[in-house]
Formats: sequence, C-alpha cells, structure tokens
Amino acid sequence: MSATAGEIAIPKRPGVLALILRDPAAAVAAAFALAIVLAAVFAPWLAPTDPFDNDLAKAMQPPGSEGLPLGADTQGRDMITRLLFGLRVTLLMGVAAVAAGGSVGALLGFAAAFYKKIDGFIMRLMDVLLSFPAILFGLAIAAIFGPGLFSVVLALSIATVPLMARIVRGAALVVMQQDYIEAARAQGMSDARLIRRHLAPNCLSPIFVFATLRFGQVILLGSALSFLGLGAQPPTAELGAMASEGRNFLFFAPHIAVIPSLVIFAVVLAFNVLGDALRDALDPRLRV
Amino acid sequence: MRKILGTALLAAAVAMPVADALAQAAPRNTLVVMREIDAESYDPHRSTARGAGEVVYMMSDTLVSLDWDMRTVRPGLAERWEVSPDGKTYTFHLRRDVTFCDGRPMTADDVVYSIQRWVDPATRSPVRWRAGPIKEIRARDAHTVEYELTEPFGELLYQLTLFFASVIDKNTVERLGQNFGVQGFNGTGPYCWASWTPRQELVLTRHPTYSWGPPIYQNPRPQVERVIWRVIPEANTRLAAIQTGQADVTQYIPEIAVNQLRAVPTVRMSQQPNYFWDHFMGFKVDKPVVNDPAVRRAINLAVNRNAIVQATWFGQAQPADAYLNPNVTGFDPEAGRMVPQYNPDEARRVLDAAGWTPGADGIRVKNGERASFLVYGLQTAVARRYLEAIQADLRRVGIDMRVQLWDATVGWGRLATQEFDAFVMSYPYISATDGFALYFDSRNRPTPNRMNWNDPETDALLQRAKTALSEADRLAAIQAAQRRIASNYVWLPIAREGLWVAAAQRVEGARAHGIYGVGLYKGLDIRLTR
Repeated sequence: MSATAGEIAIPKRPGVLALILRDPAAAVAAAFALAIVLAAVFAPWLAPTDPFDNDLAKAMQPPGSEGLPLGADTQGRDMITRLLFGLRVTLLMGVAAVAAGGSVGALLGFAAAFYKKIDGFIMRLMDVLLSFPAILFGLAIAAIFGPGLFSVVLALSIATVPLMARIVRGAALVVMQQDYIEAARAQGMSDARLIRRHLAPNCLSPIFVFATLRFGQVILLGSALSFLGLGAQPPTAELGAMASEGRNFLFFAPHIAVIPSLVIFAVVLAFNVLGDALRDALDPRLRV
Repeated sequence: MRKILGTALLAAAVAMPVADALAQAAPRNTLVVMREIDAESYDPHRSTARGAGEVVYMMSDTLVSLDWDMRTVRPGLAERWEVSPDGKTYTFHLRRDVTFCDGRPMTADDVVYSIQRWVDPATRSPVRWRAGPIKEIRARDAHTVEYELTEPFGELLYQLTLFFASVIDKNTVERLGQNFGVQGFNGTGPYCWASWTPRQELVLTRHPTYSWGPPIYQNPRPQVERVIWRVIPEANTRLAAIQTGQADVTQYIPEIAVNQLRAVPTVRMSQQPNYFWDHFMGFKVDKPVVNDPAVRRAINLAVNRNAIVQATWFGQAQPADAYLNPNVTGFDPEAGRMVPQYNPDEARRVLDAAGWTPGADGIRVKNGERASFLVYGLQTAVARRYLEAIQADLRRVGIDMRVQLWDATVGWGRLATQEFDAFVMSYPYISATDGFALYFDSRNRPTPNRMNWNDPETDALLQRAKTALSEADRLAAIQAAQRRIASNYVWLPIAREGLWVAAAQRVEGARAHGIYGVGLYKGLDIRLTR
C-alpha cells in the first residue's frame, strides 16, 4: 500500500493471536494448551481402556510394562487413561471455578465502580474474603458439604471472586473517566445499558488476561485440595488426587505420583505463559 | 523389576536427609519410638485413641494384663483374684509393693477412685460401658478391692486389661483438673511423664522402683532410662529413620515396605500373629437397596477379598473370610463358613433371582430403583484403595457403589447420622463378645451399631454371652450370635490387619503385642545394646 498525498499510512495492526504466536514460548504454550484441551474433550475416544475398570494383578506396574506405556496405578488401571480423564476433571474444575467466581467478581467490580454508595461496602467485603486462603475455604466447605468436586469448585470460586472484583473495579474506574462515558450519560443512557454497551466491553482485556492467569492458579489450588483428599472421590480420576494416591509409594512406584504431578506442572506453566502473552498482546502500549 | 527399584529407592532413602528432628542418631540410653499421630490427651478416662493408649500403657498399670496369645488374662496390679459363684463379685488382691511415680504407695482406694472416675457420667468416658454393669466398687482393706456387678459380665477381666481401666493418682488428677494427661500424669507404670510437646514428642523417664511388670515379660523392670515418643507423620521419613538408627522402634510401617525391611540386616522385625484389628463394611439394613438381603449377599459374593487385600496391604493383612479372627476367644468356625466367598457369577445369579435386572447403563434396577448405594468412611489411603477396588468389583455385577470419604475431624459426626447406606471402618477387639456386643446390640444404635441392626434374638444371645456363668454357655451364645449375623449378611468383612514392630539394630526385646492396636504394650524387656 502506498501513501498518497494527504493520507497517513497506518500499518495494519496485527491480531491478538498473531501477536501471541510471535513469541516462541507463548506459541508453544498455546499449542500445548490446545492439545491438552483437545485431549481432555476427546478423552473417551482417545483413552485405550475404561477409566474405572481395574485389574489388581497389574497394580503399580512400572512404565514400559506390556500394554502400559506409562504404567498402572494402585488399582492396576492404565495411567494414560486415568491421565486423560483426570485432565478432563481438572480442566473442568478450573473452567467452572474461574467462570463462576470470575462472573460474580466482575459483577461486583462493576457495581463497586459504578455505584459509589456501595463501593466501600463491596470492597471491604472483598478484603475480608481475601484474608482467607483458598485452602481454608476448601477445608471449611468440605466440612459442610463433604469432600468432592462441588466443594472444591465452590471454594475456588469464592477465592476467585475478590481478585476478579478488584481487577474489574480498577479497570472500570479508568474507563469511567473517559469522555465517551460522560457523553453517554449526557444522552440519558440507562445504567444497565451504559455498563453493557460501554463499560464492560472496554474492561474485557484485563478480565480475559486475569481469567487465563487465574485458570492456571486455580488448577494448582484445586489439585492441592484434591491432594489433601478434599476433591474428587473414588473412582473419579483427577490429577491432584492421582498424585496424592501415589505419594505413599514414592520409593516403590514413583510414576504414580510423578507423572500426574508433571502434567499439573505443565498445564499450569502453559496457562501462565499464555496469560502473560495475552496480557502483552492486549496491552495497547505494547501494540506496534 | 519393581522389587529392585523399591529396594534401590529404599536404600536411597537411607542416604536422604530426614527431618531436623531426626538429624542426629538416637541418644544413648534413650529409646526413640516413632509414631504417625499424637493424641489429644493422655487421660485414660477421656481418650479412646490408640495414640493415647500406647503411652498410657507405659505410664500406668491395670488390675490385670493380657498375654501374648491375646486370650489369657494374667496378673497386673492384682496378683490374684476370685469370682463369686454368682459371677457378680470379683475380689482383686493387690500387690503391696506398688508405688506411683511420685513415690506414694498405691492402695485399694486408688483403684476404687480410678474405676469410679472412669464410669462417672461427669467424666464422659465414651467407653465406660466396658467397665461392666457396676453396682459398687469398694476397698475391703488397703490391698483388696471388691468389684460388684448388678449381673454377671463374663468379659470383665478382658475389659480391665484395656488402658481405660488404668489406675491413676487422685491427688494429681485433682491438682491438674481438666489438664490431667495434658500437663502431667502420675501412674504406677514402668515409665513416668516428663514432658509433652503436642504433635512433636512426649518424653518419659524410667520409674526407678518399678518391679511389678506383668509376668508375660522376662524382666519385670524397665531397662531404658528415657523413652521419647516422637511424632513423624511421613511414612518415608519413618522408614529412613529406622534403617539409619536415628530412631529405635515403630509399629507404623507402610505395608509395602515390610518385606523390604525384613531383608535389611540393621532392622529387627517382630510380628504378632494374634492381632485383632479388622476392616469391614457395614450395611444399614433399613435403607433402600441394602435392605435387601440378596443385595448384601451378592456384594459379599462379588468382592474379591484376596486380590483387594494383596493390592491394598501387599500381603501384610489377611482377607477377612469371617466376621472375626479365628484366633479370637469365642470365634465360631461355622459362622465363618457362612460368609459367602468370592463368586461373581453366583452374585449375578442371586441378583437375577431377586429381581434386580441390568439397566441400560449396566447398573441393575428393581421396581424402578437403581442398585446404587452410598458408602461413608474416614479419609485414609488404605480405605480409598480398597473402596476403589470394591467399587470396581461391584460394577462388574451391576451394583453402583458411591463413595464419600470424610476427614476424621468431621467424619465421626457424619458417621453417626442416617445419611449414608453403608460405611467402612476398622476396629480392635479382644474377644468375640467384645466385638459383637459393641456393634450388634440394638441399644447401640445409631452408633456404634450404625447398621441399625435391631434384632431381639441377637440382643438375647449377646446378653446371654455377657452374663452366662459357664464358659460353655457363653461360647454357645456368642457363636449363635455370629451365625445369626452372618446368615443376614449385615457386614462385608474385608481384611484383618497384621501388626509388625520394626526395631533398629541397637534395640533388643521389642516384641509386638497388639492390645487395642498398641504395638509395645508396657515396653518391658526392651533394652539398648549401645
């Protein structure tokens, strides 16, 4: 494209995906994240065996045993199958917690930024929630509802609410000072419409970035809660619970704990790198 | 391959640095005993935890003691005793050389005080029923105690061997109040309370004048100056410490490591073949699905106990093919044979005949009800492993078993509710009547009779077993009770745990006992060679 007199040549801005893929680390993380999501979604078709069908004669077979490339767990179940189904539960747990906690947090953040009268109340409430570690929420909720995925998701959701609320409130306060908000108000736009049309769309970038980063943290926390026995109940496969099951046999069958732990590590790392890349890509100051 | 890997990693563990608490070799003339968890109190009348019992047995004595065969009652603080012809009065003649750790001589008044405190409702001992139906307990003279019951209780002597019946010093109890067993203790045992740092260690020192140990020991005197009960929660750390001599004794050995430890020349292993600590699943017989005896029978048939026990306990437990250990007093072999053995085809036939037909998802249905039930248990690695295996076995015959494991802090409360259909548990017992009277007496609903088993015939048999005057009558009654329960498939017996005590090279005389699950009992005969 050549510039003609009176025109300013504006280079075409690359898309977010293109910006992410420019960074090799982020590209690898994105590919890995996509692969694990696909593996989790298609687990029933990819898994070589039934995830619940045990064969105690094969219990704790090491990796490389016949028909068991990654070995077997304490029930003699194929580790690959359990990992695929475990990944499914772990990712679902992360998505559910980030979606539920993030949505409530975002609504509270918008409300706090928009309605000054309730700002103080909401943010003090968030401060109270922030003062409890997620593990403590998990323990308390498991004591009430019983250990299980519901308890873990609830605990992680509650732990996510104040973090999201703070981020959204901060972003919304910046947007609220923009002239177009004043203009919309001057036109008599209703509060709900103003939030929906102008405030929310302009806060989406920090929300997406935080959600991606939080996803990795939530998986780690959820795995920790499952490791403590508060999460998935038998026979559900879940990565943290699988690592927990194997820790008693670290000297005798290390693969049972080590393999799911490595998968948790890789998943969390991938989503953290992806979150960082997304933040860079969505930051207008870094967009060239 | 796995054995080689296990041994190599076990050897690597020896070289691994362990916790700071174990950074040095065990001190001279001090026995370091490792265990997994601490107790909340060492008051024998308030705690029922094994963790309390294992220390209380060393700090105090009971009127009578239990031999290694777990059947024979031997003298303890009482050198002899008589039972009245009507079976209601026991007269205990006490030793005259017994003193408390503070030097005060022990008399019959101390025994009376201790038993009365145990059964006093104000003490709130959860196991005061074990003391029997006491009418009065009195001191006939300074060294004679009369223990009078309202009705005969054939189990009494067995029950009095348990640590709840420990004799303690009234003065110390009154001085410490609620903190007795927390801030201090004064008993007549071979070792005396020195200090306690909760969740870390409890230190005992030798009772200098102690010479009245039970006759089951070769030497009635303690031979170690100090005993440190150290809490090491991590199994791998305990394994490393016992092999490197950084600690001396432990009964808390992961089953998977027992065979490897037996091959380690620096470790001495002692096994108690008469160890009565069983795992079972109990069914609430009045809840849907498991209220059908056919379902309970099919569950018993469908579960491969041999494979489960091998995979869960690695050969260090026995499949429970009966409700009780065959070595226990009062065991009925015929009742043992009534427990269905593994036969999944027969399980399917039983379910078919009872009208449970396979549904679309493979789970059976009868009159619109799915063959699905919920099991509660406490969160332990062992329970999780065997429940997953049982779950898989039951799926194969079309029964869906849902599992909910609870942390012990809330689990006991949940296990007292009616929200579940079945539960798993493990428990120690000292006789057939002890175990059965605890779980199957209708008066013990909803806990510990969580099965809601309410059967007048069983109650009558248990009452006869407890109160009969002749051994033959007692045996006939408790054996009939076992057959009654076994023919109704009220439980799924799972496994009988084994007991091993591992001792470091410098330790001699550490023999596994196992009373109430306690490995070392009085700890006498243990000596350190360096």
